[in-house]
Amino acid sequence: MAASRHLVVPAEPDQIVKLATFVAQAAADSGFDSLQINRIELAVDEACSNIIDHAYGGAKGIIRLEVEMVPHRKLTVILIDQGKPFDPDHIPDYSPRGSLDTIKVGGLGIHLMRQAMDDICYEFNVPGVGNRLTMTKRL
Amino acid sequence: MKATLSVRETSYQAKSTSHEANGLNVPILTVSGRLDASTVSILERALIRTLLQGAQVVIVEMSGVTYISSSGLRILLSARRQARERGGDVLLSSLSSSVRDVLDMVGFTVLFSIYRSLDDAKRTLDRVD
Repeated sequence: MAASRHLVVPAEPDQIVKLATFVAQAAADSGFDSLQINRIELAVDEACSNIIDHAYGGAKGIIRLEVEMVPHRKLTVILIDQGKPFDPDHIPDYSPRGSLDTIKVGGLGIHLMRQAMDDICYEFNVPGVGNRLTMTKRL
Repeated sequence: MKATLSVRETSYQAKSTSHEANGLNVPILTVSGRLDASTVSILERALIRTLLQGAQVVIVEMSGVTYISSSGLRILLSARRQARERGGDVLLSSLSSSVRDVLDMVGFTVLFSIYRSLDDAKRTLDRVD
């Protein structure tokens, strides 16, 4: 049976561990193994860093985290903010195939999110909501 | 709830049978905890300090690192670039499976010299005929 949980925190760097731990617990309760839990936690960490650094850009704001759990099937993570739309398409793609001299770290966080999760969907300026990032991981 | 990270510095005197030179004195940074945006400056400071003190090679022992995000990855890459510019290197040892998984996702397991254990890393620095 599906279940959901949510958490609302100030958009501040030291809140990320709280959000990551919250989602890690939900992932564990949904039946994910430790490696996949780490990947889900990582995706939330990187997404929240982007919200704090780019969407709010240092201004005050809040992050709402919603987790929808279908145990032993999938976990959906929704992050909502009211900052400036942060469109990852404007960030250069990270390529993991460079050499030490040529590799560029731009887009590293987005790359990790895409690697860690099965689906990622950005929606901007949703009426009555704000910006909404939905990430899904299937078991 | 706050993320925590600690960095302990020791060193290893690499063995050498050469009559002309002693083995390298290699700093070892033993890192424990969560390596994310809120803690990465602790490792960054330690790496900069060891490199500024003239260390050619640094070993980062990571068996106690429970988590790494892109912030930690960027610092490791930056430190290795600085070391390589001076003919040195930053070696990584003792990665947990979850940390190795993250390094794999971004291709860093190819870019870095990674050793299963600290002893394995030390052995590669010995110059024993």
